[in-house]
This record gives sequence, structure tokens and C-alpha cells, in this order.
Amino acid sequence: MKMFSVAHKTVFVVDHCPYMAESSRQQVECDVLTKSRAQGVIPLAPVSKSLWTCAVECSMEYCRILYDIYPKDKLVNYIVSDSEFHILNSWRREDQSTHELMSALAAVGPPNPREDPECCSILHGLVAAVESLCKITELQHEKRIALMDTAERVANRGRIICLTNAKSDTHVRMLEDCIQETIIEQNKLAAGSDRLMAIQQCELVLVHIYPQGEDTLVSDRPKKEISPLLTSEVHSVRAGRHLATKLNILVQQHFDLASTTITNIPMKEEQHANTSANYDVELLHHRDAHLEFFKSGDLHMAGTSTRENGLKETVTLKWCTPRTNSIELHYCTGAYRISPTDVNSRPSSCLTNFLLNGKLDSSQFLPAERAKAQLERHTRYWPMIISQTTIFNMQAVVPLANLIVKETLTDEDVLTCQKTVYNLVDMERKNDPLPISTVGSRGKGPKRDEQYRIMWNELETLVKTHAGATDRHQRVLDCIIACRSKPPEEEDRKKRGRKREEREDRTEKNGNKETDDKSWQDSERLKGLMDKDEQESEVIKDSPDSPEPLNKKPRLTSEEIQPPERSKGPVSLLTMWSNRITAVNSRKHQEFFGRASSVNNKFELYQHLKDENGMDVHENGKATR
Amino acid sequence: MPTVVLMDVSLSMTRPVSLDGIEEFQRKNLAVHGLNMLFEHMASNYRLEFTSLMAFSSLWELLVPFTRDYNALQEALSNLEDYDKTCVEAALNGVSNVVQQEWGSACPCQLQMTDAMDNLEELLRLSGGDGQIFTMEGPLCMKSVQTMFGKLIDLVYSPFHAVLHCGNLSSDVQVFPRPEPVVMDEEVEPMPRTVSTDLEIVGFIEIADIASPPVISRHLVLPIAVNKDVDEVGTGTTDELEEEPSASQMAGKSPNFCVLLHGSLKVEGMVALVQLGPEWYGMLYSQADSKKKSNLMMSLFDPGPEPLPWLGKISHLGPISEAADNPYGEDDSKSPFPVQPQVKRSYAQNVTVWIKASGLQTDVQKILRNARKLPDKTQTFYKELNRLRKAALAFGFWELLKGVADLLERECTMLPDSAHPDAAFQLSHAAQQLKLASTGDSQYAAFDHNIVPMHTDFSS
Repeated sequence: MKMFSVAHKTVFVVDHCPYMAESSRQQVECDVLTKSRAQGVIPLAPVSKSLWTCAVECSMEYCRILYDIYPKDKLVNYIVSDSEFHILNSWRREDQSTHELMSALAAVGPPNPREDPECCSILHGLVAAVESLCKITELQHEKRIALMDTAERVANRGRIICLTNAKSDTHVRMLEDCIQETIIEQNKLAAGSDRLMAIQQCELVLVHIYPQGEDTLVSDRPKKEISPLLTSEVHSVRAGRHLATKLNILVQQHFDLASTTITNIPMKEEQHANTSANYDVELLHHRDAHLEFFKSGDLHMAGTSTRENGLKETVTLKWCTPRTNSIELHYCTGAYRISPTDVNSRPSSCLTNFLLNGKLDSSQFLPAERAKAQLERHTRYWPMIISQTTIFNMQAVVPLANLIVKETLTDEDVLTCQKTVYNLVDMERKNDPLPISTVGSRGKGPKRDEQYRIMWNELETLVKTHAGATDRHQRVLDCIIACRSKPPEEEDRKKRGRKREEREDRTEKNGNKETDDKSWQDSERLKGLMDKDEQESEVIKDSPDSPEPLNKKPRLTSEEIQPPERSKGPVSLLTMWSNRITAVNSRKHQEFFGRASSVNNKFELYQHLKDENGMDVHENGKATR
Repeated sequence: MPTVVLMDVSLSMTRPVSLDGIEEFQRKNLAVHGLNMLFEHMASNYRLEFTSLMAFSSLWELLVPFTRDYNALQEALSNLEDYDKTCVEAALNGVSNVVQQEWGSACPCQLQMTDAMDNLEELLRLSGGDGQIFTMEGPLCMKSVQTMFGKLIDLVYSPFHAVLHCGNLSSDVQVFPRPEPVVMDEEVEPMPRTVSTDLEIVGFIEIADIASPPVISRHLVLPIAVNKDVDEVGTGTTDELEEEPSASQMAGKSPNFCVLLHGSLKVEGMVALVQLGPEWYGMLYSQADSKKKSNLMMSLFDPGPEPLPWLGKISHLGPISEAADNPYGEDDSKSPFPVQPQVKRSYAQNVTVWIKASGLQTDVQKILRNARKLPDKTQTFYKELNRLRKAALAFGFWELLKGVADLLERECTMLPDSAHPDAAFQLSHAAQQLKLASTGDSQYAAFDHNIVPMHTDFSS
């Protein structure tokens, strides 16, 4: 169905002239006496609905089904006509509900049988209906604005359903001619207006309603073209259940609906709570729901039955009590809104209540743009391999990691982050082990102080990606920089002032920390590798089949040597000063042979004694014997 | 979308094609040449496609059932024999059989045929209009065959490459089968919508909340090597020669976001909502192939801002952390879904329908049942009474109001001696109010007015 097919706008024009107050002559017994109370009680005389009541309740049923299945943008405008027209609602979305219409209908009340019939006509309403079809709906307006220069693609079509008691076929023809003329007039008016649209297609469905037991004065007529703008069809129907059936068929035709009957639904009996019987419930829905049946040619297998009028069929499906497994995704080609044909019957309401299942929480939602922004923040630093991260393996970092990705931080958040940092400093002082992966690194992996250096670098990288967000984020970064232990060369550099050339030089030499402009991949992660004398790529190292690590070479650069106390958290001014002096001084003398040729900062002393002494011991032993 | 190649092997296909007297081909040879080109393309760029080869004349024969073995298809092509005359109806029946047997009826299928016929367009129209006829431009020769198959390949068999984004993480992916363009409304939006080559994850949602939603198509999402110059398949020879590893080998060794995403979705039991274009969304999820193997898949929803009514507008969804209160509750005991519609559906509210007599009788009986249990059931009695009153006023059914008033008065006279004195007061009060409403007097017949219980002082 096109967005702006005739189904977009439906005008109900219901006759409110005095003759509609006549009885439908279909009687309803509403005093159903139970046997025990029947003695001596005179039952109430049956009531009968007027033609008006029949027309109103059937049109409301049409609207109920329509609104259930198309809650949006299939619109109804309800007009009643007597000595003038009364428009009960507008095309606006907020006016589209049966409750709104019922309220307006109550205000109108039943037709006044004493009104002068000469003044009353359905024509007032029909003219108003054409005028109404020219009025632009919210959806038409929105689409015209969205399409800009192709706004002419927004069509204006509509349907008029007229429930009346016509006098004759000639009378019907007169009504059709009158509608045709009004369309032409109104289209001229619409051409010069922004809020009106010319009608491109109008479908008149005239339903002639007459009391039971009378002969009809109007003949049925299938759809015919009155003009390129107007088609018309006439249905002559007895009031009461015939009218209800007719409008039920019409709503299905008008909105591409089809019927499915769910059979064998087990349900507790009302009277006997411990017994259960099987019921059937008929549902209406978009006919596409049956598409797959037709494709497979299985429709007859699913079971169809023809209804009384031979026009509509219903597909029967057998109820299966669903095994709810909400953690599984099933392949689903279609989901369709439904409306029970008999909405307040007990089986229908049992079924719908079961399906609605009392989920009535409502909550406010936030724009998706904020979700995207959050994803962006959360993925600024996101190691993809678990063994390549230290901080995300540490429970102690969790509070900070959770907070730092927030768009804004409170002072309390900053405090929590700072506490996390202090806690890490404390761990470092206590020399607590870190969850640094040793997979593939054959041996114990990096030393403790090296581990902490990697951890601090990673933490700093994480926080740096957020530091620009707010001052409070920056404060967290400042805290880390102030508290973390640093390799001596960095301390040196700070005190000597940061000269650009020198920095570049160092970057080349040993990959230093001032590489803010690089992403984490090439700075932090790779730096760790470069520091380890540019071993093979870490990715390979992590694989169980990776080659042996390269032979450990003695470190030659004095910068790599860290005094043991360096790794133990915050240091006193004195220590910092003496470290600096030591570092500076260390450059002023030739490096000790032992330190220069150490392996992992270790150098075995008195190596030459090994061979000689070994021999001695042996000899001595021999000698003692 | 699987492919059926339906090859005409009638005698007409053996007609010679003269090429300025240089060489002589049969039409059949041209067709085989074109198909070989297609199969070669598929073998290297569209390997996941299942293809089957059928031959037909007055009868039909399945030469190669659906397979990804393109060598087998080419082999079969080279062994074609010639038969009698063309009869397409039988062949199409055969296609229908073969397809339904292998794929079921819900599977769209591409159909290839290789003979010129006049009524093909009519056939296309009958089949629902989704299809296209490729004809050769210019003389019948190898070159025009290549051009024609080139067009077909570009249109239908070019792989769909995209970049999957999630914040700062991303991965190059192939989406298979390629997502087809969708026409939303032939009138308002005649241009088909195509899936963007930038797929952006907008968030994650529980499987239970998205609840097996309807989708228009499903696709595999496969990470691909970034360097497209290098043969993606990676042949064995490069390894032996110990040359630089191929791009796909490198890709296999570097961490890939698709792997992370797939693993996470599987572990968490969630799906990722992905934006496919303006106001068009889909979902990424892990789909188990077998007990051991699962794939990252993407399903496309109907285009539009609100493809799944129970989620509301996708653009209105947001991160849990930004909600004032956790919509799932602190103990994960509730869910914000399904989103409740602004106006409840008829079946979710207590609507009144009296089209069938039984509906009206039930409603009247309900009132009478409660009337007999006054004053215990005062609230229910008035609730049911007011529901009937509202409907009767809307339907202009004043006669019913009078009728029910009479019934209540009769109930009043039939009250047993043991009845609470309040019952009589409430019954006559209710009857009187209904009668007033039935006059249409605006003071008593207002739709939103409710009859309230009479204030009595029998508190004991």
C-alpha cells in the first residue's frame, strides 16, 4: 500500500437526520433471567437499536480495527450530517482514537425525531467531507517539507464512507453528482492554498442502511468510475448484524487485511476454575502475514474456511503454548499488528491478556546520538587482546576506568579516580604483583618495576584520551603524572628543560613518553616492545607457536638502569634530588665495565674465579682425603 | 541468494555465428564462454554463492546441484550435449522443484538463462517484476558476450565491501550475500535505498528485548584484508617460497574488531544495533552454525525510524548509564521494553462493543451480579455501570439506559429482608441517574461525567 493511497484519509459521513432515529427492529434481550430467579418476575421488554446506533457502533468497530492495525497515519475524519454538518475530529494524530470519537458522538446524541426532515440532508456532510479531504494532514505536510523540490510526489487521495438511508437510486446518483461537483470546486480553491491539496482520487463507499423486515429502495452496485477523480460503490444493507458484517468486510478490503483463526487455545473455564476447555479466536491483520503460505502453496493445508458471505476466508492455525527462550534469536520474516474481531469476548481477552503479559513499565529514552558519543568515548583506548592490557585486568583500576569515560565528572568522581591512583601507588610500594601476561615470554616476564612502568604508561594513555574533555578529567591525568614513578631519564629531562631536538633524538633512541600525538597502538604498546631491545612483534610472541625470544643482549644505555628505590611509589624531595645528581654524575664518568655489560642489570662478579676455583675445590677435596 | 543457471541445450543453440568468415562459433559456445567468465569471477570474488547448473530442451536435467565448487560447474559446462527444442515451461517447473527442495519457498533465487526469447519480459512481469533481462549489444561475438556478462557481474555478483565502525574501532568487512536495494514507497520515494558502505554501530541491546524481530534479509559479515591488491585467498605457493605473507595472512594475525565483536555478542547474549543509512537500521549478532561454529551476521530491518514498534524510535534509544534511573532496575528485574504505545490498542483497554447481542447481555449481567452484592461490590458496580453508561451515550442508545434503570429498580424491589439498607439506596440512586442521562440533558448526559456512589451513613 502506498503511503498516500486512498487509505491514508477516510472520512466517515453518518446520517443524523430524523429517520435515522427509527428502530432497526433487531431486538436485543438484555434481561437474561437465571432459572432460579425466574419465578414471578416479569422480564424486561427487549430493547432495540436505532438505525443511528447501528451505524455508529459499526463505524466505531471499523475505526477500532483500523487504529489497532495502523496506529499511525491511516486517519479518520468523522462527520455527522443533519440540518448542518458537525465535524467531530480533525486529521491531527492526537484526534485519532476511538475514545475521542465516542466522546464527540456522545455530545451529538441520537437524531432528534422531531426535527424538520425538510431541512436535514446527508449532503451537508458529504460537502464537508470533500472539503476535509482537501485539508493537508501532518504526514502530507512532513513529507512535502522533506521532499523539497519533489514535493509533488505527495499525493492527495481519500475515501468517503457514507452511512445513510437513501431514498432511491436516483437519490444516490444525485449525491454522487454533487460530490463530483464539489471536488472540482474545492480543487480550484486548493490550487491557491498552502494548507489545502487538490484531490487526485476519491473513493465513495455509500452504505444504505434500512430497518429489518423492510424492502430496500436502493440497489447494490459495484465500484464504478464517475470521473477520473471519483469512483463510487453502493452497498444496501439491513441494520444490525448485517451492517456489522458489511463494515468488517469493508475494513479488510480497504486496508489489505486478512483473517487468521487461532484454534484450540486452552483456557480456564469461568465457572469451574479447575477445568479447561479449548477456544478459537479470530484475528485480523495485514494480509502479507499470509504471503508465505501462498508462496509455498500450503494454504489449503493450513486450513481455510469460507465465511458466510463467501467473500472472506480465514486461515486456521493451531495454538502452540510458546516455550519462552528469550536468549535465542529466531529467524523471523514478518511481524504484524493484530486486532481481534470479537474484542471483548472472553477467549479474545484471555488471549490478548496472555500476550500483553502485564508489561507496563514505561521509561524515558535518550537520543541515539548520545549513544554514539558514548561508544566513541568508550573506544578511545580499547585493547583488543586481553593479554596486551594490564590495567583492564586489574580490579584496582576498575573505578577509574569506569569513571574516566564519562562525559562529565563530579568532584566526587575525581576523588574516586585519585583514590584509585593512590591505591596503585600503594600497591607499587608494597611490590604487589601485576597481571602482566607472561604468555610466550618464556620465563618470568618483565621485572616488577618494569611491570609497573608498563601499567602506568597504559593508565596514562587511557586517561590522556579523555583529559581534554573537562578540567576534572585533566585533574585525573595530572594526578597520575604527579604520582607515578618515572624512569630516571624523564626526570632528567624535566629538569634540564625540554628541548625539542633532544626529544626527537630520544624518541628515536628509546621511544620515550612524549608521543601524545601518536595513537596508543604505536606509542604505548609498541614502546614496550622497543624498550625490550626491539624484540619480535608482540602479536607473534603471544602465540604458542612463536619462535624463541631473541638472545638477551646486555643493555648499554645507562638510562635503562633504575635504582631499586625508584620503583617504590612517591619519593621524597631528597631522593628525587639525589637521584638526579646520581643520574647526572653517572654521565660524567666512564661506565663501569660490569654495568655496561650487564644482563638485565645484573652482572656476575668474579667470573674468572669460576673456572679456577672450581678446579681448586676439586683438588682441595682430593687433598683432604 | 543462490543462483540457478538454466542453460538452453536445444538445437537452436547450435546455430553458427559467423565472424567475418574468420572463425565459426555456435551460439552455445558463446554462452559457455560467458558462463565460464561468470564462474571464474564467482570463484575468485563471490565464493560463498551457491550455484546450480540445469540444462533444458523439451526436458530438463539437473547437471550440477547447488555447490560452491566452481570447477565442477565449469567441468559440466564443457560436457554439454545437444537436444531437441526449447520448452521453457517445463524447465521453470524443474527450477521450482530444485529450488524448493534445497532452500524452501522463502528463499529468493537468481535465475540465469542463456537463450534469446521474446516472451522473457512477460515472464519477468509474472514472476513479480524482480528481475532483469540482459541482452547482447552489437553482433553475436565473444566480445559482446563478455560485455554482457561483465554487466551482469557488476550488477549482481560484485562483492559488497564496507567498513564496520564502533566508536573508534573499525574493521573492513564483506557483507554476503550483497544487500539488495530496497524501494520503500514507489511514489514518495521511488529511488531504491542502498546500504551504506559505512556501517555504524549505535548501541547494544539484550536479545530478549529485541525479541526475534522481523528482518528483510540476513547476511554474513566477514572481516577482510585491508590490502585489496593482494590476492585475498592466499595461495599455497607464496608460503613455500617464503615470500612476504599475504594480506589475508597478516589480517589473520592482527587483532580484528569483528572477532572482538562476535565474541562479545555471543558471551553477553546481546545484539548490536547498526545504522545502515539515514533512518535505516539492522542488527549484528552471533548465529550458531553448529555446536562448535558460529558466525557474525547482520540482518536488515525495514527502512524507517521505527522498524520495531516495541523498541520505539531507534533514535530515542540511548545508553543505560544516561538514564536517571536504570531502566532495567538495579537488580535487572525489569525491562523498558516493549515500549507502550501512547494510545492503547483496543484489546489492551476495556472497550465496549455490543455488535453481538451477547456482548450487551454480558455487560448488563455484570451490573446485575454486582447489584445483588451491594454494598460489598459498590466500586465494581459503579465501574461497570459507568462503562455501560458511556457506551450507551456514545452510541445514542438511550433506550438501553432506561431499560437498565428499570432493571435496577426491579432489583431494588426484590431485595431480601436480610439485605443491607445501603443496597436499596444505591440501586435507586443509580437507576435515577441513568434515567436522567437518558433524557440527553447535558447536565447528566456528559460523556466524561461519572455516576458516583450515593453518600450514605451506614458505617458500622
